[in-house]
Amino acid sequence: MKKQKVIVLDSEQQNKQDILAISKMQEGLNKMEQIPVYSPDLQWFEQMVLVEKQRIRKKLIRDLSIFLIVAIIILCGIMISLFQMPAVFIFLQIATTIFIAFYSVTRLMKKVNGG
Amino acid sequence: MDALIKNAKKGDHLAFAMLFKEHYPFLVKYLIKITMNPDTAEELAQETMAKCIQKIHLYNGQSKFSTWLVSIATNTYIDQCRKKKREKNWQGQEEIYRKLKWHFESRNEDWNDALEALGRLPEDIRIPIILKHYYGYSYEEIGEWMKISPGTVKSRVHNGIKSVRKELNLSEETEGHRFGQRTTK
Repeated sequence: MKKQKVIVLDSEQQNKQDILAISKMQEGLNKMEQIPVYSPDLQWFEQMVLVEKQRIRKKLIRDLSIFLIVAIIILCGIMISLFQMPAVFIFLQIATTIFIAFYSVTRLMKKVNGG
Repeated sequence: MDALIKNAKKGDHLAFAMLFKEHYPFLVKYLIKITMNPDTAEELAQETMAKCIQKIHLYNGQSKFSTWLVSIATNTYIDQCRKKKREKNWQGQEEIYRKLKWHFESRNEDWNDALEALGRLPEDIRIPIILKHYYGYSYEEIGEWMKISPGTVKSRVHNGIKSVRKELNLSEETEGHRFGQRTTK
């Protein structure tokens, strides 16, 4: 019983110390809130939005072009191998299937093990 | 949902600009608190706004716009810290908050000991403490933004406060006070 009382007192004491530490931190952070922040004018923000949108558009066009070029190269390769070298085509199909299965299993194992 | 946000979602530049102008001081002040560096805070605020433009279609209006900005800003800062650590050009935390300390001194304000203690904490502990005990966000929200479980957030906040307490010598002070009281009785 006595032991329990001591533990309760200790935790109460600790809570008080925590509250004190938190209030000191809040006091300091409140002072940070007083730091004057220079806010640019509306035109600056509008210009920033325009520039960012243009950048996003350019990036989208670049990514799409890369995607299309790579897709065309892969498709051409597959078509050529299918009509000119069927053995290579079959080998590529099997190798890709094995790779996808192996990759999926490894990923799943990692997720299960929490790694 | 706010008319400004609706218009911004439709691609209205002016609506975006007005939204950012309204929230800019709040965003920079939040970033100053977590980075403890006004210059980094301004850089990150611009980066946060750029991400906001990219991701505005994901904002569903369930939380306040400022809360959404805080979540993006937090992630941007964490990513930047990770990148800097990987590139090994990570400055010591004390070097980082020296400028802020100078800022306080130039305005004849006391550099609070708790701020010194908070500044010494690693960012993955400092951020949840500020979000929880200054802005009042829940452990669940913080966990979601930092991509950790609410339990981990809770333990980080607890350990962080413990080290702040140690730095402030609070345990010794109050302990001394307690013993003092005992002797008088």
